[in-house]
Amino acid sequence: MTFDPMWLFYILVFPGVLFCFVGGTLLNGLDRKIYAKMQKRIGPPIAQPFYDFMKLMGKETIIPYEANRTVYMAAPVVGFIALVTTMLFLPIFGFHAFGGVNADMIVIIYLLTIPAVSLIVGGAASGSPYAGVGLSREMVAVISYELPLVIVLLAVGRKAGGDGVTFSLKAIADYQAANGALISHWSMIPAALAMLLVVPCEVGSHPFDVAEAETEICEGPLVEYSGAPLGVFKLNYYVKQLVCSALFSALFLGGKGTGMVALDAVIFYLECFVVTFFSTTLIRAITARLKVEQVFKFFWTVVAGLALVSLVLAWYGL
Amino acid sequence: MNFNEIVVHFPALATMVLFLGAFLVTIFGGKNRGVRVFLAMLAATCSFVMVLCVAKYVIIDGNMITYWLGNWSPVKDYAIGIGLEVDALNAFFALLVTVTTYLSGWYSIKYMSRDEGGDYYYTLYLMLSGSVLGLVLTGDIFNMFVMIEIMTFACVALTAFRNWSKGSLEAAFKYLVLGSLGSTCTLSGIALLYAQAHTLNMAQLSAFLSGTLNQPNVVLALALLLTGFGVKSYCVPFHFVAADAYQAAPASVSMLFSGMVNKAGVYGLIRVCYIIFQSMGLSTVQTLLVAIGTVSMFVGVTMALSQHDFKRLLAFHSISQIGYVITAVGLGTALGVAGGLYHAMNHTLFKGLLFLCAGAVYYATGTTNLDKMGGLSKKMPQTCLIFLIAAFSISGLPPFNGFVSKWTIYQAVYEKAVSGGIGYLFVAIVALITSVLTLASFIKVTQSVFFGHSRESFRDVKEVPGSMLVPMWILAILCVVTGVWHEQVTAKLLTPATNAVMNVTRYVDEMMGVGYAAKYMGANEVVYSSEMVTAGGIWNPWTWLMLFGIILVAFVLVSAMGKSGRGKVIDAAKSDDKHQVFFGGEVADASAVVGSDLFWGFRKNFSGYFKVLGGIHSGVVNDYAMWAVCTLAVIIVYLNVVL
Amino acid sequence: MFDKLISKSAGKSPWLFHINAGSCNGCDIELVAVLTPRYDAERLGFRLAGTPRHADIVVVSGPLTAQIKDRVLRTIEQVPEPRCIVTLGSCPASGNVFKGSYSVVGPLSKYVDVDVDIAGCAAKPETILLGLHKAAQILEEKRAAMSKGGNK
Repeated sequence: MTFDPMWLFYILVFPGVLFCFVGGTLLNGLDRKIYAKMQKRIGPPIAQPFYDFMKLMGKETIIPYEANRTVYMAAPVVGFIALVTTMLFLPIFGFHAFGGVNADMIVIIYLLTIPAVSLIVGGAASGSPYAGVGLSREMVAVISYELPLVIVLLAVGRKAGGDGVTFSLKAIADYQAANGALISHWSMIPAALAMLLVVPCEVGSHPFDVAEAETEICEGPLVEYSGAPLGVFKLNYYVKQLVCSALFSALFLGGKGTGMVALDAVIFYLECFVVTFFSTTLIRAITARLKVEQVFKFFWTVVAGLALVSLVLAWYGL
Repeated sequence: MNFNEIVVHFPALATMVLFLGAFLVTIFGGKNRGVRVFLAMLAATCSFVMVLCVAKYVIIDGNMITYWLGNWSPVKDYAIGIGLEVDALNAFFALLVTVTTYLSGWYSIKYMSRDEGGDYYYTLYLMLSGSVLGLVLTGDIFNMFVMIEIMTFACVALTAFRNWSKGSLEAAFKYLVLGSLGSTCTLSGIALLYAQAHTLNMAQLSAFLSGTLNQPNVVLALALLLTGFGVKSYCVPFHFVAADAYQAAPASVSMLFSGMVNKAGVYGLIRVCYIIFQSMGLSTVQTLLVAIGTVSMFVGVTMALSQHDFKRLLAFHSISQIGYVITAVGLGTALGVAGGLYHAMNHTLFKGLLFLCAGAVYYATGTTNLDKMGGLSKKMPQTCLIFLIAAFSISGLPPFNGFVSKWTIYQAVYEKAVSGGIGYLFVAIVALITSVLTLASFIKVTQSVFFGHSRESFRDVKEVPGSMLVPMWILAILCVVTGVWHEQVTAKLLTPATNAVMNVTRYVDEMMGVGYAAKYMGANEVVYSSEMVTAGGIWNPWTWLMLFGIILVAFVLVSAMGKSGRGKVIDAAKSDDKHQVFFGGEVADASAVVGSDLFWGFRKNFSGYFKVLGGIHSGVVNDYAMWAVCTLAVIIVYLNVVL
Repeated sequence: MFDKLISKSAGKSPWLFHINAGSCNGCDIELVAVLTPRYDAERLGFRLAGTPRHADIVVVSGPLTAQIKDRVLRTIEQVPEPRCIVTLGSCPASGNVFKGSYSVVGPLSKYVDVDVDIAGCAAKPETILLGLHKAAQILEEKRAAMSKGGNK
């Protein structure tokens, strides 16, 4: 493994840190703006998430007496880095920053649990009982969406694997380049729907925001966070939205691309925006928060069922 | 004499030195604590070094060791003495056994210093270690049975070691009943084989038994041996005693139980199914093992979710993780075996570590009840860090070792699904979900032991002494090392071991002389596909770590640039209004969210399932024995019908 | 390096934490009305936070009863700097019709420095919006002063 100066560009600018930061905050700003428009409001400026983040950077950070300082401070950073690395592993049409030879789908699933774990552990480290309840709910949410997510990935792996199976994201990207986006194959549509429902639960937006229910349990795991660590956690939330949408785009909306990486990136970002609109904004605007056991039931029956339909169809070569 | 001439004696010596140590501890160590610790650790160290040499000779250099005790070599193609045969599989398991023994020994010095009867402890500890080491190194099936017996009784005695504590005698009694059942099954199976083949040497048995799986008595022997070793590996439905025993035994012994005693069962299963009966080419036997493994995985982890005791929870996780191993091994593919062995190794490392953490918490606080603890992370920062490493390892978070082995197993199962049918998809899904549930139950431990509101009664709790922390740190580092260098581990350790499992001919020929296999097995020989199939799996921890590092550096730089503008970080010197946790405006009160309050949403939806499961785990040893016997009956009927 | 940006952002993203200190609920529902589509406080960046740790502006309504005084003060104490304290309605500023009651210990300004008083019984949404906007500006100034004052 020899070091390539291009890597620094990948890691720090695109599709790494800067892209995640700007793309994530912009995506969240658009989401909030459209959400407001749906409610006939003017809504916050599109840069609002950015202002939120910067403001939190300038606030005091109060570490509670009961908290474990190291874990409390480290948790958001670990979550953020894990998200950015996940983004680096995802294919953008034909472009693989690091994905082709370094990680596959199972790695992506597990990397995507790291931000959730960092939220949980950070919350636990703050020592608040509200956080205790919140992390319990967050964990149940993770259990809930993990089953359909796993089935979706297995279905995609079977579909893109041809005669066999594959876990490789490169193979999936190549398959889509050759045979068109997976969403255009009718047997994959239930899986895509299931994935669309997994995304809001993964990022914790309405109606699946049981963990951060600010009106019930004071924002759950985040209750004791303030200042810069809270800002990074908020940033994680924005970036997670981007990464989950990007995962959806990589799995279902791939294709040949235009051949130019810059143009591909723009198209990819637009796809992420569309996915965010349908999976998060739309659902958020028309639903109220579910109870935690309802979330679990919904995901293990309806969503997992949808994904399973695709898996069985794909298994028999449809 | 050079190294190669001496090393062939080491398998026998490594076992014997442990037994010798056991006797010496009884004779000389009764009065003086220093003497017995010295003797015990001397024996353990000698054994450890010898097994390391054997492992280098066998696994790295690619040799095999055949050693006839008393030089009773075969006469006219019949083995008449006890033979030790060490191939890469034996050496691999021997390595696990001695690493566990050695670290547990160091840990025990301080941990057991508050208990009475240290000489009994060290005697039993060495007996147990010696018996398991003998079990995995021997090439004679009756010798294996003898070792199983020693192991069982040492386990029973060690389970009851803290006989003043509640439940330990009960657990020991249960262990005795179930362990005897298992041993009986094994003995009956061996007797049947002896009647059939007139030999007890495993290589010879393997040669004679090839192509005889259509005979009812051989099938019966297979069923009995499967059950016998199943009991020793504590897979469902033989798992009931494991929970009680692991909970009751001292933590250093629980580590031995989960680190090597159930590995001995797994080793037995592999040896019996792959080598002696050569049955793993049959999809019916594969189905049986995978079914047992899958049920173990799910039942173990769901039971763990509803536990209130630290060690009991870990015990159920042992069952669950052994389920992974048996599932992977039961696939009958090279990738599956490699994944299974990898997970067996990782399980030894991280589960041993978790038990040591539980022991450390017990040592510091005097309890393992999850609902009575809280806020220990500030009192025991190192233990907390080590625990987090172990918990992330077992939950399979990258870049720790649990991730790599689980990831290999998923690939193996998913690959298998293409040829083996859609049922394996279900197995793959269960395996992935089990991993998340494992994470959930360790979140529960983290929250209720190390974080949350610290209790007034634990105000004077201190970090455990260094002699306990050192073994824990070693295991923690090993967890990271085997996760990050997974390609090297696979190439150096697992590929030889997997090849040993997949190559029956080599095993037979090495023991009984070249050409023996061809002579007796002929066309009946089962040839497993031994090429390491690589699925689409790609995981390069180094790149990930590099990315992680670079982003971290960038993060630190940006944050340093913005330092002037950033808000202050205020540490809490005392628990005043500002630094209390937010409690709705009230004075923060000690109201920890304890473990049993967590994951309500999950347990509510599964309440029916948990009710049934609770009913099955009745605590009545008669029921448990019935489960074992019924399972034996089912296996016998199943194998007779399908084979 | 980012000082100016952060100070500017402080005024653009004020998060509210609302404490009811014995209010009759009249002001409380008016505060909620401010967040509805008609007045839409979110266009100025206002958001209701779930916990004092996230808040920038503490909005106190009600005449501050003896029971709740300590709780209110403790909660305000838990809000990280820079923070603004806003009284909502006449009660917390003066005691209103409850003044002199044995169980009322207000006004709030006896115990903490109040930045903005929003008058009215109940306060009109337009007034509340104006008051909150003022508070946001004060927040920006406080933040600027904080970074100038050598925030080490």
